Amino acid sequence: MTDYVDAGTAIDLSGLTQIAGAAPPVARTVNYERILRARDEPHNWLTYYGAYDGQRYSQLDQINTENVRNLTPAWVFQFGSSGLHAGASTYAFETAPIVVDGTMFVTGWDGWVWAMNAATGQLLWQYKHAIPFDTSLCCGNVNRGCAVGHGKVFVVTINAHVLALDAETGRCVWDKTWGDVRAGESGTVAPLLVKNMVIVGSSGGEFGNRGHLDAFNVENGEHVWRCYMVPKPGEPESDTWPADSEAWTRGGGNCWVTGSFDPDTNLLYWGTGNPAPDFDGEVREGDNRWTDSVVAVDADTGRIRWGYQCTPHDLWDYDSTMECILFEQDGRKLLAHFDKNGYCFTLDRTNGALVRVTPFGERITWGEITPDGRTLPKIYPQNEGENVHFWPGPAGAKEWTHACYSPRTRMFYVPVQDVGSTVCRVRRQFKESIPYWGASVTVDSDDMNGFVKAIDGDTGEERWRWHNEVPMCASTLATAGDLVFAGTPSGEFHALDARNGVDLWQFQTGSGHHGSPVSYSVDGRQYIATPAGWGGWVEGFAPGMLGGPHGDALFVFALPE
Amino acid sequence: MTASTEQVLAGLDKQNSATLGKLIGRGNVGQAEEKADGTMRGRIRIPEDELAWDPAVLVLPHGGDVEIELVNDDYNTHCAVLPSNGDSKFIWLPCLSKGTATLNLDGPGYYWYGSPTGNDEGRGLTGVIVVLGDVPAEARLDRPAQPRP
Repeated sequence: MTDYVDAGTAIDLSGLTQIAGAAPPVARTVNYERILRARDEPHNWLTYYGAYDGQRYSQLDQINTENVRNLTPAWVFQFGSSGLHAGASTYAFETAPIVVDGTMFVTGWDGWVWAMNAATGQLLWQYKHAIPFDTSLCCGNVNRGCAVGHGKVFVVTINAHVLALDAETGRCVWDKTWGDVRAGESGTVAPLLVKNMVIVGSSGGEFGNRGHLDAFNVENGEHVWRCYMVPKPGEPESDTWPADSEAWTRGGGNCWVTGSFDPDTNLLYWGTGNPAPDFDGEVREGDNRWTDSVVAVDADTGRIRWGYQCTPHDLWDYDSTMECILFEQDGRKLLAHFDKNGYCFTLDRTNGALVRVTPFGERITWGEITPDGRTLPKIYPQNEGENVHFWPGPAGAKEWTHACYSPRTRMFYVPVQDVGSTVCRVRRQFKESIPYWGASVTVDSDDMNGFVKAIDGDTGEERWRWHNEVPMCASTLATAGDLVFAGTPSGEFHALDARNGVDLWQFQTGSGHHGSPVSYSVDGRQYIATPAGWGGWVEGFAPGMLGGPHGDALFVFALPE
Repeated sequence: MTASTEQVLAGLDKQNSATLGKLIGRGNVGQAEEKADGTMRGRIRIPEDELAWDPAVLVLPHGGDVEIELVNDDYNTHCAVLPSNGDSKFIWLPCLSKGTATLNLDGPGYYWYGSPTGNDEGRGLTGVIVVLGDVPAEARLDRPAQPRP
């Protein structure tokens, strides 16, 4: 009989670190009213896009075109990937930090959430959700950010849970399962806090599920409403799907990127994803609403008030999930949406009417959208086993990563990908958890370009462009210092002059950018924070960079003190 | 002389045979038992000189809390980092020792865990916890039952 040594009880791994263990109570007073007036506190970055309007614009101007050349790292947060985790080769740092009164909240891949001192980088607490290794992921083990308010941090997990964490300790307050991992659903979106609800959209459109947007009560996680983006038979727009078919049950339309919100219209403006199967349209005849659309959803009821479909009957995987930027022109309430299909749609956000549609993509050969909004397909996978080649490829002229808008210059700054793809239709039967593309896809790994393009907000015309040898796959940030910050797949982080595109400063961060930089200040010192960590669906948006160095660091820059 | 497939397969399950270490993911399968209160209990040991977990795969009937007894019957020191919602759990496992870890896992799906000392993870000391079951009914899609592989 062995006389065993008592090894005791397993302890929390974070107990073996220098983590402080608690954050200041900064999130207690963050609520809907404060986020509505986010522009009144430019030292903070209170919500995913900085404000409900989706502009990704900071009013801070301490760092400007005159002094940006002096920008240096203030601190760096690194975490690293350890052990075996889902999507080990495709994890990426896609987050957008939230900053509240000197405390930063950051999400990572594989269920990580961190709180840190925004001035020093000191880690205050961390949370880890255990993620099954076999979770279905189309596009990497990623998370795009959190929402903060009511004393909590709200985050989704890759295995489709919505969590509320105590913002001071990181402990879980409530945990709701909101998607079915056996159906290929997952969670990657940064939640949006609106009124007393946290709004989240589902991921997993490549697995043939039915995309949905959900609202949960911030206090207790009670489910408030669900809005499906593909109607059941008999529901509005169900006639855009084939009758007597199961196509609607697996039609896609996932909402995996955060929307914007206008309190005057009480509408959430949310982009929806591709129909499924992505490339085989014959099994889903019709326009397939509301896939590839901008939908306006009543924030209180979860009902779709109006929708605008950017790519009816998509055959190219042109999701419309990316941002809807709210702005005004001549007193008119507008919305700008830069779509994967290479066109910018400017809509009247009160009713969804098309104001103008203008191309911003570099090479657009899949088809054409006429000035009055008619879609004219030209090249698409039509015949079984027959290759077709088109630009932009399935990652789009712009992927989910965000454009920004400067009210000072009245220009949008758009990260552009110029990559083509060869697609061959291959019909397959639908089975839950198996990718449901309906094609063989090979994205070009050469003959590619990237740009930051400045687009006139009033006309949709290009004002300037900054060229990069490889596609630009990270969100841009505009500041009142007339700067546009943009990261590249090869790791450089650039500051461009917002007025003319002149490259004023750059810093090599060591890994490619596929996240969202933000700006904030603490004690009067302005910071620019950007995640650097290459990964995700690289074979889709930049296969020529598939061998690029991975990483997982958050760089924070400031002027010398 | 070429080894038979059976010989190669047998060698994959041993330290320093066909491979340098036991191939991860192979080995015995054990099941956790469910207690009256719905929590679960399991046992995993490290046999002498095998540098492996036994069972290599621990199956939980559903998500929730599980208490695992970890027994080191080896004459080397190991440890374990195990997945759990909130924070991973760590325990030292000195020679001939035993301890416990209480984990909370959602599932369904499977989770890797390992001993993060030396190259224990490169041998058989990378194990699996499987959580069976489905997500709650309220989390499923509103659609008819769909075919599965």
